[in-house]
Amino acid sequence: MKLLEMHDICKSFDGVPVLKKVKLEVGAGEVHALLGENGAGKSTLMNILTGVFPKDDGTVIFDGKVYDNMTVKESEKAGIAFVHQELNLFNDLKVYENIFLTKEYTGRFGKLDKKRMRMEVMQLFERLGVAIDPERLAGDLKTSEKQMLEIAKALFFKAKLLILDEPTTSLNQEEVAHLFEIINGLKAEGTSFIFISHKMPEIFEIADKYTVFRNGTFVETGNIKDRMPEQITMSMVGDSYDAGEVYTIRKTGETVLKLNHLSGKGFHNIHMEIKKGQIIGLTGLQGSGSSELLQAIFGSIPVYEGTMEIFGKKVSCRSIHKAMRSKIAMLASNRKENSVIADMSLLENMYVAEHTLSAGKFHIHKKEEGRKFDHYKELLKIKAGSMDEPIVSLSGGNQQKVFLARWLNTEAEILLLDNPTQGIDVGAKAEIYRLILKLAESGKTILINTLEIPEIQKVADVCAVFYESSIVKILGHDEINERTVMLYATNAVADRKGISE
Amino acid sequence: MKKKIWSKYSYIFVFFIIFIVFAVSSHGLTWSGVMNIFRHSSVIGIVALGMGMVCLTGEIDLSVGSMLALVSGMSVVVFNATDSIAATLLSAVVFGAVCGLANGVLVGVVEMPAFIVTLATMLIYRSAAQYICQHIPKQLCGGGSSVYRMASDAKAYQTFYQMGNGKMVTIPYVGIILLLLSALFVYVLTGTKFGKKVYAVGSNQKGALMTGINVSLMKVVVFVVAGVMTGIGAFLWIAMNASSDPATTGNSYEMYAIAAVVLGGISMSGGKGHCLGILFGAMSYTIIDKIIVALKMDSLINDAIKGIILLAVIFVQVLGPKIRAKLNCYA
Repeated sequence: MKLLEMHDICKSFDGVPVLKKVKLEVGAGEVHALLGENGAGKSTLMNILTGVFPKDDGTVIFDGKVYDNMTVKESEKAGIAFVHQELNLFNDLKVYENIFLTKEYTGRFGKLDKKRMRMEVMQLFERLGVAIDPERLAGDLKTSEKQMLEIAKALFFKAKLLILDEPTTSLNQEEVAHLFEIINGLKAEGTSFIFISHKMPEIFEIADKYTVFRNGTFVETGNIKDRMPEQITMSMVGDSYDAGEVYTIRKTGETVLKLNHLSGKGFHNIHMEIKKGQIIGLTGLQGSGSSELLQAIFGSIPVYEGTMEIFGKKVSCRSIHKAMRSKIAMLASNRKENSVIADMSLLENMYVAEHTLSAGKFHIHKKEEGRKFDHYKELLKIKAGSMDEPIVSLSGGNQQKVFLARWLNTEAEILLLDNPTQGIDVGAKAEIYRLILKLAESGKTILINTLEIPEIQKVADVCAVFYESSIVKILGHDEINERTVMLYATNAVADRKGISE
Repeated sequence: MKKKIWSKYSYIFVFFIIFIVFAVSSHGLTWSGVMNIFRHSSVIGIVALGMGMVCLTGEIDLSVGSMLALVSGMSVVVFNATDSIAATLLSAVVFGAVCGLANGVLVGVVEMPAFIVTLATMLIYRSAAQYICQHIPKQLCGGGSSVYRMASDAKAYQTFYQMGNGKMVTIPYVGIILLLLSALFVYVLTGTKFGKKVYAVGSNQKGALMTGINVSLMKVVVFVVAGVMTGIGAFLWIAMNASSDPATTGNSYEMYAIAAVVLGGISMSGGKGHCLGILFGAMSYTIIDKIIVALKMDSLINDAIKGIILLAVIFVQVLGPKIRAKLNCYA
């Protein structure tokens, strides 16, 4: 009998269907890989299973019981535990306190029975083969230990099904091996796992079965043994191949940016030469280092090793301001946190970066600034009323255009775009692509980092694929397609000895 | 739209309400009575302007009251030693800047919390002012035992005292200085690149950093500005009073300054508000003093009334939008 059966699950948000009659079946003592690209509907289904969202339609049967309206409490009680990617631990509490939070053993007058809690935690850790002192603060643990703690916490309260959402992203190989050991041990005892990951070698090592979703629909399910990594990648990506109808070949000029074996936190030994007018796409799985590389070039995170040449000049001792002086600009990812200055108007948001370069002339000539704003408003087709409106009154796409204007206004030659279409609707996305190409045509050099491969396909001359901090492959424009990129990004084609060792 | 104006300029409404109460309670206004408000608002107003800039970056400076005591004491000493008004002004500004720099470096560069840093320097500056007063040659602090007193036999004494208490076409000099500095602040904060950076840092520190603003330096600068303003305040204080008592001068001034800043509509979390409000905020508080005198009330009730008015204004500011949102919800 199956432990979990989900059939014909439908879910829409604001009328947009995100799950269309999907199914998922997980047997007892099984590790089931749930696969799909970003936005395929994996997390939504997991949120329905754990009671975070109600389902619109379909049936959920867990452990022989039908659940019509699963709530978070019910799912917990039934024995479903969600180990989130971003760990939900209290850093200022001790390890055992984290496990027992709100479920503490108490004696008379509500006095905590610490001895008993510590002992039971110790026993559990021993059984799991986890070497963590229950007295330590959760904040002092390594990420891998936190991961173990989350899993231990779920097991302590007798979870039958653990959902692991990309559990290995922040673990090194040894730690992954240890995690897999624990998973295999628990599997033998009859615990089931839903394993969400993008890394093919891992999936082929740990999973028994797999299910693939694509764009909110069920694609296929089967035994991992019967499949090759390439086949699964293909069914994840499908035939959604979208030709880059806006792309044109441009002439490129001399080398403007040269990275000599650059290493830093999250990226390693990056060697690249970028020519004037080029558009370089950087991609990889979340956390594979492409975003960090851009941040390091912009000087917002430090470089440990290697050098950088901009317009043939060696640049050292980096800071954001220095990078700006060297004509580098960065449209940072996570717009709300890094770009939006919420209390300021459109105009102020636009000119603030340029003003750090021209701080010597301290008076603001509002008319002149207004003219510049109008120029960019027309160039970038910013849909906005008055320039004195607050920035937060605009939609995401138009905000992003204001920030693009902010950086063009600094007369930067090298534009680093970190996930520029994050949280922007489809129409605005297309406009941003067109702008990127237009800017490259006018001689700007552009590095764009994104997880969305169709984006890169539309604009990039070459695409550098990252896997675990390094560039594993550089693809020419004609070679860029989702299938190929995903094969390299998930390390499905490169030598697999790293993991299976 | 009407509501927008009300919330943007609420400090002016509050000021006029208090002003009308004053006019009624003092049985008709006199020109000199109004000018007296200017005079008595000047020191706290100038200190509050500096505080306002610090608050706009999202920080706080609790040390300004003690700093006022220390800097005014040191300035008296300099005056007694040099008999020069210019040297006194210069030393007041420099002492203030140095005191502010200490705060600024610890907050901006070392990144210690401003609340803790300025709480500590508040204790340090006050204690230093009192200690030095007891341990310097008597003639430097005017012979007094526990007060810094300007030597009245100094040649520049009369001119200096006249500056603090004199008037130009019936307007007190110190009031004019307050107005000029307010105008300067309005210009710097609304019309210059530096001013916009102050707002940017307070509105979104990470975002400001990512646009190339040197956030640490900005914080150092605003604390130095707050120190300089306190220095100017200290200079005016001794010009007006000819003395400074290290135990009482500037007592609770940090609190009055913060209250004036908040009443003036500046957000304590930074990035929002207009510094013209500070001028009105500071004057509103001075008027409350005058009302209490006019009504012949016990002056000990003073702080209670100031506290209640602050609570009432912020209560309306916080609750107003919530009520409006609810009404919109049902509409």
